[in-house]
Amino acid sequence: MGIDQSTEMPKRLSDKPIFQRVAKIILYVFLIGVAVLQLLPLVWLFLFSLKNNQEVFNLPPLALPQDPQWGNYVNVWTQGNIGQYFFNSVYITASAVILTVLFASLVTFAITRMQWKLSTLVLGLFMVGLMIPVHSTLIPLFNFFLNINLMDHPLAIILTYTAFNLPITIMILLGFYYTLPREIEEAAIMDGCSVHRLFFQITLPMTAPVVATTAIINMIYNWNEFVFVNTFISSDKFKTLTVGIQNFIGQYQTDWGAIGATLMISIIPILIAFLVLSNRIVEGITAGSVKG
Amino acid sequence: MNKVMSDKKVIALYVLPAFLLLMVLVYIPIILTGYYGLMRWDGIGAMEFIGLDNYQRLLQDSTFWRSAGHSGLLAIFSVLSLVGYLIISMVLAGKIKGADLFRKIYLIPMLLSSVAIAQLWMRIYHPTNGVINRFLESIGIENTPLWLADTNIVLYSIFIPIIWQYAGFYILIYYAALKNVPNELVEAARIDGATPWQIGYKIKLPLIAGVIKVTIVLAVVGSLKYFDLIWVMTQGGPNGASEVIASYMYKQAFNTYNFGYGSAIGFFLLILCLIVTYFIRKLTASKEDVQY
Amino acid sequence: MFKKAFTKVMAVGFTSVLLFAACSGDEPTETGSGDQAGNGQEDVTIDFMHLWPSGSSPDHNRIVDGIIAEFEEMHPHVTVEVETLENEQYRNQLQVISSSNQLPDVGMTWAAGFMEPYVRGERFASLEDIFDDEFRDSFVGGVLDGYQVDGETYALPVELNIAPVFYNQAIFAEYGLEVPKTYDEFLQVIDTLVENGETPITLGNRDAWTGSMWYMYLADRFGGETALNEAIDRTGSFENDALIDAAREIQTMVERDAFIRGFNGLSDQEAKSEFMNGNSAMYMIGSWDLPNFTTNEDVPQEFRDSIDFFRFPAVEGGAGDVDSWVGGPGVGLFVAENSDVKEEAKDFVKHFVERWGEQSVEEAGIIPGTQVDTSAVDLPDLFIDVLNELNNATNITMYADVQMSANVADTHLDLIQALYGLEITPEEFAQQHEQALLEEE
Repeated sequence: MGIDQSTEMPKRLSDKPIFQRVAKIILYVFLIGVAVLQLLPLVWLFLFSLKNNQEVFNLPPLALPQDPQWGNYVNVWTQGNIGQYFFNSVYITASAVILTVLFASLVTFAITRMQWKLSTLVLGLFMVGLMIPVHSTLIPLFNFFLNINLMDHPLAIILTYTAFNLPITIMILLGFYYTLPREIEEAAIMDGCSVHRLFFQITLPMTAPVVATTAIINMIYNWNEFVFVNTFISSDKFKTLTVGIQNFIGQYQTDWGAIGATLMISIIPILIAFLVLSNRIVEGITAGSVKG
Repeated sequence: MNKVMSDKKVIALYVLPAFLLLMVLVYIPIILTGYYGLMRWDGIGAMEFIGLDNYQRLLQDSTFWRSAGHSGLLAIFSVLSLVGYLIISMVLAGKIKGADLFRKIYLIPMLLSSVAIAQLWMRIYHPTNGVINRFLESIGIENTPLWLADTNIVLYSIFIPIIWQYAGFYILIYYAALKNVPNELVEAARIDGATPWQIGYKIKLPLIAGVIKVTIVLAVVGSLKYFDLIWVMTQGGPNGASEVIASYMYKQAFNTYNFGYGSAIGFFLLILCLIVTYFIRKLTASKEDVQY
Repeated sequence: MFKKAFTKVMAVGFTSVLLFAACSGDEPTETGSGDQAGNGQEDVTIDFMHLWPSGSSPDHNRIVDGIIAEFEEMHPHVTVEVETLENEQYRNQLQVISSSNQLPDVGMTWAAGFMEPYVRGERFASLEDIFDDEFRDSFVGGVLDGYQVDGETYALPVELNIAPVFYNQAIFAEYGLEVPKTYDEFLQVIDTLVENGETPITLGNRDAWTGSMWYMYLADRFGGETALNEAIDRTGSFENDALIDAAREIQTMVERDAFIRGFNGLSDQEAKSEFMNGNSAMYMIGSWDLPNFTTNEDVPQEFRDSIDFFRFPAVEGGAGDVDSWVGGPGVGLFVAENSDVKEEAKDFVKHFVERWGEQSVEEAGIIPGTQVDTSAVDLPDLFIDVLNELNNATNITMYADVQMSANVADTHLDLIQALYGLEITPEEFAQQHEQALLEEE
């Protein structure tokens, strides 16, 4: 429908080179300015991680520390099982992200592509899941995991992350599935393609950009989450990197430099994963590019 | 075709795993929260059934309504900020040089955990050493604002980091959605002489309307139950000036041992989200969904 | 191509999930069974939860580990398993696990208002049976009161603090200031500092318990040691002239710019850093911060040498005594009522408190709830001075927000912020306290 309207638009005066060039420069200055602003937090965090407790509070945020406290990193690395926490964070995050994105894609596919009576109801039920405040769930879930003997087990965390991220993931996927062309899928079905093949070989690849998007969002949520970990996990060997931060919060005093170092260490893996995943958000799929 | 796409077994296979997870891990807490809301319970010992007393108290609790007002205000600001994110995403998704790099840089702050973001903004807002007030003093402004201590402005001060924190999230979704717009449509419009703005407004925007609707719901629901930065930066203070529903609920449930009342607040919040979502969908449904 | 990568990722994901599920078998058994050779006692495990993570509190942690090792050696059939959580998470978790009756055998609790629901909910065990006269006398007088409900003791303190006014001698010397003996002198000190562009007092009133301590001293100096306590325990009223006068004086101080700019938005840690950097002349905090002013090597020696403290000055015509302090026990150890190793847990708590008391001041700079023989320990002068004040104290008024029930404490802290923010009058401050206390009755 959009195409017809666009033809009716008045033709623009063809060249306004100076105006356009100035506009372009202004645009770039703005874009670069914002980019610098957005990078500063990372620089700040790095400098933060090299300060001692006095400097953290009294130096301007972007001032260099007098005597860089590389010891903060040593401290973080030697205190507790950071290697173990690191490993736990990676596999818990990865498992939950994969489960969530897969389950959510399956549900969204079933809701938007398949015909069944209860689909709107089920969608509604998933959406309600978005609305419960996290802290209301702690006591009920603790009790539940206790009863099914999953307390202090990584699976409790993985399943909780999956369940709580499903609603938001489904909602984001939904917006995309609605706009996705159906012709290819219809053609595939005509050709006798099974639903499973259709989903795994056509729909899922076609939705790669949004799958990557939701994977990034899920990853960030899970990676930084600590309330569920603290509540359901008590053994050190199952705890995640966010516990590394807790380790430096004292009863009356907190070791901020060490927390900065932990935050810095813990941002690297998701930064890499983010850069990789975000390359997957590419140009829109054109009808010809996917073969059924 | 219809037969294949309404195969009950396939639907069950696709929906049930996620649905079971949702029912068990999300709905058990929801139902129990509603149940605890009917109790006088400190969250520790025995409970006592008191019917709807907690809800009656809620309706008359001026602190609660004040907090709800703050949450509502946050929801409004969050929705308004979506316009800005949409514009940025359109620029980034356009055919400009370096868009890919800009996009990646713009999203980096969203990788930071709330702990880091809170620390950053507390440095920015510090009454004497803070980045903003130092700047204001350097240009000769005396009596610089007390960003987090002045009860008239603290709420707005704290909205800024919250909105900034979520910028990446929405930009990412919009960007992926815009990239998902089939190239043919854009090319066709371009050949017809449409300007970039016209392409954006008349073609891309209607095509991603579904995604925009979803983000409006996410922004509103997310704002109504927002907790993180407020808790770390002000704990709802001074004297309740930045209290929101979730922080008030947390205080009731965990700090003052009114777990029953806290649960009632949590359940009420859920109902509130449901009602608001219903109206959003009603309002946005008037524009017909864009389909191919 | 993407499809291939995706299926691969998927496969890895699934296998890993399955692996974890499979791993669930090899969890450690909670309590080892079977007879230990030796004395025929069954092996037991005591779960112990505390809030001193090794990263932020290495000294505490080392002492705790040492005490546990000792205890395990003395009781070969006992293993103590430790879990640590940071302050706020700890509070939260204690309530969550308590709701399912899963408290650790031994854990830490705060006094009075915090622990009362746990005692009423029959979650904590009474510790009366582990006291003999000698053990009871080993505690500083009155410190156990905070852990008593209906006359029975439910926890044993491991820390006791008072809150002096710490001041920077260098700044005082620069302006020829003397330690104020009276409240009027104190106000003059503030005025002099303000005139010279110094920040007299740093205060992080976002954590309103710090503002509450200043108020409590004024209440004490105006109305004597009983005024506030009686208002809280309902033998008196909050709408008492002394308590209103104290509130008025807080506002006088605020109006004289006694406190740092933007105090209502600062955390205690931010405020403290202003003092630690010599940007502020005075800072009131619990004696738990003494190591920062004495032994902490991360703090410049020059700064540590310049710090001293004074007692909150007397108010002329007030009923208070300068030897009356604000303070009280911090965390204490409880034994869970439903613990299946209650006897061992009680032994452990007793042993812990005894051994902790012998080491904590010297090794970690924490003043224990038990008596410290100042002549026998090697401590910096500032520490000795504070310990002597503690011994000479005529009264220690427990922090108002700890004394009060959790509900009233919440109101109190909000009102403190409002009072300092000049949002309410002293009369309203008193009246709203009174109302909150009445509702609790």
